[in-house]
Amino acid sequence: MKKIAVCYKWVLSDTDIRVDEKTRSLNMEKCKYQVNEYDRNGLECGVQIKKASGRELVGITLGKDTASSAKDALSRGLDSVFYLDDAALADIDKIGAAKALAGMIKKVGDVDVVICSEASSDDFAQQTGPRIAALLGWPSVSYATKVEVNGDSFTLERKLDDGIECVSVAAPLVITISPEVGEAPIPGVKDILGAKKKPANALAIGDTGLSADALKPASAIVSVLAPETSRKRQRMNPDGVSLDQAAAALVKELSQAGIL
Amino acid sequence: MADYDAIVVGAGLSGSTAAYCMAKAGLSVLVVERGDAAGTKNVTGGRLYAHSLEKIIPGFADEAPVERKVVRERISMVTDESCFTADFSSSRFQNPASASYTVLRAEFDPWLAGKAEEAGCDVVCPAVADELLRENGKITGIKAGDDELTAEVVLLADGVNSLLAQKAGLKKELSPHHVAVGAKEVVELSSGIINDRFNLNEGEGLAQLFAGSPSRGMVGGGFLYTNKTSLCVGLVVTVAHMAKSPDRLPDMLESFRQSAALKPLLEGGKIIEYSAHLVPEGGIHMIPTLSADNVLVLGDAAGFCLNLGFTVRGMDYAIGSGALAAETVIEAKQKGDFSNAVLCGYQTRLENSFVMQDMRTHKNAPDFIEHTPRMFKEYPELVENIFADMFTVSGPSKLMLKKALPYVRKAGLLNLMLDGFKGSRAL
Repeated sequence: MKKIAVCYKWVLSDTDIRVDEKTRSLNMEKCKYQVNEYDRNGLECGVQIKKASGRELVGITLGKDTASSAKDALSRGLDSVFYLDDAALADIDKIGAAKALAGMIKKVGDVDVVICSEASSDDFAQQTGPRIAALLGWPSVSYATKVEVNGDSFTLERKLDDGIECVSVAAPLVITISPEVGEAPIPGVKDILGAKKKPANALAIGDTGLSADALKPASAIVSVLAPETSRKRQRMNPDGVSLDQAAAALVKELSQAGIL
Repeated sequence: MADYDAIVVGAGLSGSTAAYCMAKAGLSVLVVERGDAAGTKNVTGGRLYAHSLEKIIPGFADEAPVERKVVRERISMVTDESCFTADFSSSRFQNPASASYTVLRAEFDPWLAGKAEEAGCDVVCPAVADELLRENGKITGIKAGDDELTAEVVLLADGVNSLLAQKAGLKKELSPHHVAVGAKEVVELSSGIINDRFNLNEGEGLAQLFAGSPSRGMVGGGFLYTNKTSLCVGLVVTVAHMAKSPDRLPDMLESFRQSAALKPLLEGGKIIEYSAHLVPEGGIHMIPTLSADNVLVLGDAAGFCLNLGFTVRGMDYAIGSGALAAETVIEAKQKGDFSNAVLCGYQTRLENSFVMQDMRTHKNAPDFIEHTPRMFKEYPELVENIFADMFTVSGPSKLMLKKALPYVRKAGLLNLMLDGFKGSRAL
């Protein structure tokens, strides 16, 4: 049976990021891992293609602590998961990640549809899908908002700046979806319980056909800082002036600044 | 054949304790929790009196994420101008069987739910149990979203509101006189600053309760607990009183934080969390029907909470009721009978335990507290006046009795004696 491979990223949730006000550095200590939100739409797209074409649906991920992602991902409709959990991949860059994912896809075998989402919520690089397509030598269809499948032939809609483009492609192909492709349902109790019984397969770096050296980052992140917001810090009621006076002062100030 | 022996609704302390004990006895258990993780929907002041969990998991504090062991207790009577504080510390608080710990539920509850999972339970979150499943009138499980899950018995540990207990006809709508609303902030400070400010050694904690102006004379009070690197500061006010007041709880909490009694203690701290919750405070008067065929009610859902003004307890009762519910279900499993004929043993077990015994001992406490508003206004003022005079030197002095008597008369000597008498019998 042919397989659909959905690539998903195990990212730190941004809800508990704390910014150090002095240094603007980000403290991620309290952040928990989750399946990248955009990839949840990708997983749901995979479920729909599976339903329409009878393919098997596998999830693929790599990076630090990805073994713990399997249960969550499997509750979202996957038949099985292949993960590459290695601390050496903690700082992997986009080229490395695409090479390793392409290697994993080959290792899984019989894959003829790869789905990625537009981007990941952590660094939003928007590269993985097209890079995998280039490495596999398959057609790449990006910004897909609608996917229809009939056996090996795919009809897709792409959302572009100046309109919607309809594309017909034959498998094998790499689809990069936009979230509009379909809302991802929240897994139900039975989905979550069922996930425990599905296979989660560990792969090693060697399984990608590449060496750890080949996956070393070619680029390095120099720093990550929170954006600076500058405020005028003007008080409109410095000596406890009346509300009316303060309001008048504020209106005057805003008018002079050309805001009103 | 049901999917599980037992389904527990809610992975708070009563639910997870029950699940843990049942799984240890070999029962198949499903826990559903509506939060993204256990503890995310729970709020405590909070301090956990260790005794009940100590019996189930001896030495739990060594592995559980507790914050600090409380060795210093303070009670304050506060007016707008003054603060009178009684401060008590004792090495007696070191005894594990009677120790208490400050806890953060977002840390502690996932640990306990994890213990239940390790013991073999299926713990699913987030999952909301919307309805109880019934077959010919008999409760057979829960409905969560589109999923139906069946069990021999459903344990309702779904918190103070317990809509499921209401739907099952076991519990009435909450009375505003039986619940309080609590709001709290977590203020971050370094461990060293907390140790210095509160005169604590590493790992030691303080609990402080405030009566008087923080609740603006309404039935309720303020609290402060020290965590490892933060303080919990909050207010609790009875809903019936809050509803009639022009004051808003968030404003009151802000004033409390800015008050002379508190401000220096919080100096330099950063608010990192805000939460609010209902608190069951009706004692024995709000306890619902605790068991029926194929269903039990535990923890806050059962109203197991007791505020005596100097101790505030709920979590140890939750754990105690969870363990007793588990014992009962284990017996039902052995007998193959999950009807109320066996499950009513839960009520007997509670009656013979500290849970219902305390509820009975202090059955008059909620009523006394609610009908003695003087404790929240006149008496803090009385204390203020007496001590302000005692420590003020501005001319010729008077004998203590002469200083105090006018203030005592103002508050009413008879009131004071009666309240003292009634209070010591109720609390």
